[in-house]
Amino acid sequence: MLKLEGVTKRYKGANVNAVDQLDLTVRPGEIFGFLGPNGAGKTTTIKMIVGLLRADRGRIIVNGHDMAADPMAVKRSIGYVPDNPNLYPRLTGLEYLNLIGDVYGVDGPTRKRRLDYFLGMFELTGALGDLIQSYSRGMQQKLALTGALLHQPPLFILDEPMVGLDPRSAHLFKKVMREHVNQGNTVFFSTHVLEVAEQLCDRVGIINKGQLIACGTMDELRQASGQVGSNLEKLFLELTDSGEAYEE
Amino acid sequence: MKPMRSRFWALYGTLLKDHYGLSAAKYYYIKKKQRTWEPIVIVGSLIPVAVMAVAFIWNLTEKLFLAGLAFGQPHLALLNGALLVSLAGLFFGFFSVLSAFYFSTDLPVLVPLPLRSWEILGAKLGVVLTGQYALNLLILLPLWLRYGLLAGVGVGYVLSGAVVFIALPLLPLTLASILTLLFMRVVNVSRHRDKLSLVGGLLLLVLVVGFQFWLQSSLGVDDPELLMEQLLSRADGIIKMAGRVFPPSVWAAQAMAYAHTWQGWLNLLYLAAASAVALFILSFLGEKVFLQGVLAGLEGTRGSGKARAVRIEGQSRSPLLNLGLLEAKLFVRHPGFALNGLVGYVLFPVMVALPLFGQNLQNNPFELLALDQLPPLVVAGGLALYFMFMTAMSMIPATTFSREGRHLWIIRSLPLTIDQVIAAKVLGAQIVNTIGCLVGVVPVAFLLGWGPAAVVVGTTLGVLLATALAGFLVLFDLRKPMLDWINPIKAVKSNLNAIVGLFIGLGFGFALGLLLYVNMRSGTLWLIPLEFVGAALLLGLVVRSLVRRWAPGLWARI
Repeated sequence: MLKLEGVTKRYKGANVNAVDQLDLTVRPGEIFGFLGPNGAGKTTTIKMIVGLLRADRGRIIVNGHDMAADPMAVKRSIGYVPDNPNLYPRLTGLEYLNLIGDVYGVDGPTRKRRLDYFLGMFELTGALGDLIQSYSRGMQQKLALTGALLHQPPLFILDEPMVGLDPRSAHLFKKVMREHVNQGNTVFFSTHVLEVAEQLCDRVGIINKGQLIACGTMDELRQASGQVGSNLEKLFLELTDSGEAYEE
Repeated sequence: MKPMRSRFWALYGTLLKDHYGLSAAKYYYIKKKQRTWEPIVIVGSLIPVAVMAVAFIWNLTEKLFLAGLAFGQPHLALLNGALLVSLAGLFFGFFSVLSAFYFSTDLPVLVPLPLRSWEILGAKLGVVLTGQYALNLLILLPLWLRYGLLAGVGVGYVLSGAVVFIALPLLPLTLASILTLLFMRVVNVSRHRDKLSLVGGLLLLVLVVGFQFWLQSSLGVDDPELLMEQLLSRADGIIKMAGRVFPPSVWAAQAMAYAHTWQGWLNLLYLAAASAVALFILSFLGEKVFLQGVLAGLEGTRGSGKARAVRIEGQSRSPLLNLGLLEAKLFVRHPGFALNGLVGYVLFPVMVALPLFGQNLQNNPFELLALDQLPPLVVAGGLALYFMFMTAMSMIPATTFSREGRHLWIIRSLPLTIDQVIAAKVLGAQIVNTIGCLVGVVPVAFLLGWGPAAVVVGTTLGVLLATALAGFLVLFDLRKPMLDWINPIKAVKSNLNAIVGLFIGLGFGFALGLLLYVNMRSGTLWLIPLEFVGAALLLGLVVRSLVRRWAPGLWARI
């Protein structure tokens, strides 16, 4: 579903690569957690996948489409929720969702059915006519998530989705991610909350200093590190501290 | 649920609602029935301006028609109208388009969506165009109507006018867009957007001042109405030259003036064809280079990773001084704030000094203003008024809480009383205001030979008055700060507190100016310092009393 081949990015003025020769494959029907310390390259990677940044080198393939050759097909395959959804503050929630629905070509009855489902679940129906600037951060996150799932994207990408969410909202987000995968789609998300990754992800990848230093299921990571029975936090700290690289 | 729209129209409609605040207006004024006084104030203040503008254009059209008739070119009025809106569109369009295309905050939302470059570009251009159409309607409708009545035109004129109206702003704005795309592609400076904004703003300032200077020196006329008449009626001068520079304005005028002949239709064809070609070039270029420029802008810059030594000061300063300096630094460092707030400090002295160098002054240019002959106490009084007016004009105190926006929690969580916060904010505003005013005053004083005593007394009185007024304006902003912005420029430019603050400053300035005038007439100039100090003390005491009575409640309510 998502394949990164030797993806490299260096920001102007920087001496080191933000993302360095990143190879990664995310399979259809899995929830993939992308972990790493601050400044490791998680958001840069995600921004390259969704088209907000251009990779200096390497290929990004989404749903069989190459980002460099056919960015429109890639974007149509993706639903994206950024870490800080900066939605139009002076639009109402419904106006924003209608824009997204129109851009992705979601027809009226389908749009209504999906909106009824998500907005009902997130208890946003009553706020739909209010301006987005009156929404709390959590409400804006839920609105962005609803918009991102409106076209049922094969690849659903979330950057730090749990930040600022209350426990109930976080639970709903996890539920939505699992449901999306159960329908045969893929979820790729970055997080700092290791418990969430451990609980939710089918596989995780750990990036440090722009390089993927570990990738696999929890059991695979434990076996590879020789620490059977240890939790993700311990693995994460050890891996990111020593910088040892190993793959599944 | 609305029926599905095409991607382009969906985006255009949404951006239009967001840009012009249509959804927000509907939400607040109709749905919530809040702030209903705002549209009344806005419309109430716009109507007289619009009526005056329409009356001015109506009369000018008649004069131009008659003037043009005298030398066989009655369509001069049409040419002037077309030229005015075209050049304004081209000039201001560059900045509007640059801001809309590359510096808008919605690009991270739009870029990941499956939208083609031309769809984003076209929708954003459409939003700018819509504003231009509204402005053109105000200028062209009375002009064309008056011309039509005077010339006794037919249906062809109306039909041709409709096409010209649509095509006229299209060409300059499309050209401005093409220039913007090429500029951003070649220079790729959007990662230096702060510097670019400052440079662009200064460039605009230089052009405006330069244009004003050129007009005054080339026409030698100071009266604005007379100047406008001369400017527009000299068939062999600026019009001819500008017609050569921007031929579509000539096509537009001739298309309407000769609407009933093949010559008119040919000109209309030229205009329509030129617009279509420009649009085609824009869509082609847009697809090729727009996204590259946007991505370069979104990328920004990162630190080099090299450690940079900074001196960590062990000394502690008073919270008041620290917060005041912070207020000043944050204002000056933000190019959007700095451009809007600080331009006046540069512009006013330049505008004062400019006529001194006009070609119409044969002898000693300084005699024009005769400022060197003014008594020192009048100079001091004038300077004091300037300091006071500029503190309102800079918008620093009147938007101080508004500019905090979502960061207001930082200051609220500090162990400071609201009295201390207000004092610090007044201090910050006065640091900027005093330095800003002196930057302009010192060279002008040197040029005009004002004595140091007059400057020192004027500055002292000005600082006292400005400080008292700043306290009032800070309190005014605390009453209802505009905190719900995303784009920080809106906290300054779209803030009603800043506009009301400006009128408050003008009101105080007018009252004290009247006092100054009375003293000049009655020969009691020695009273000026006493009166101004008294006024500052009185205003300061009133502000202090208001702060004690209202500020804690207002601070707690935010």
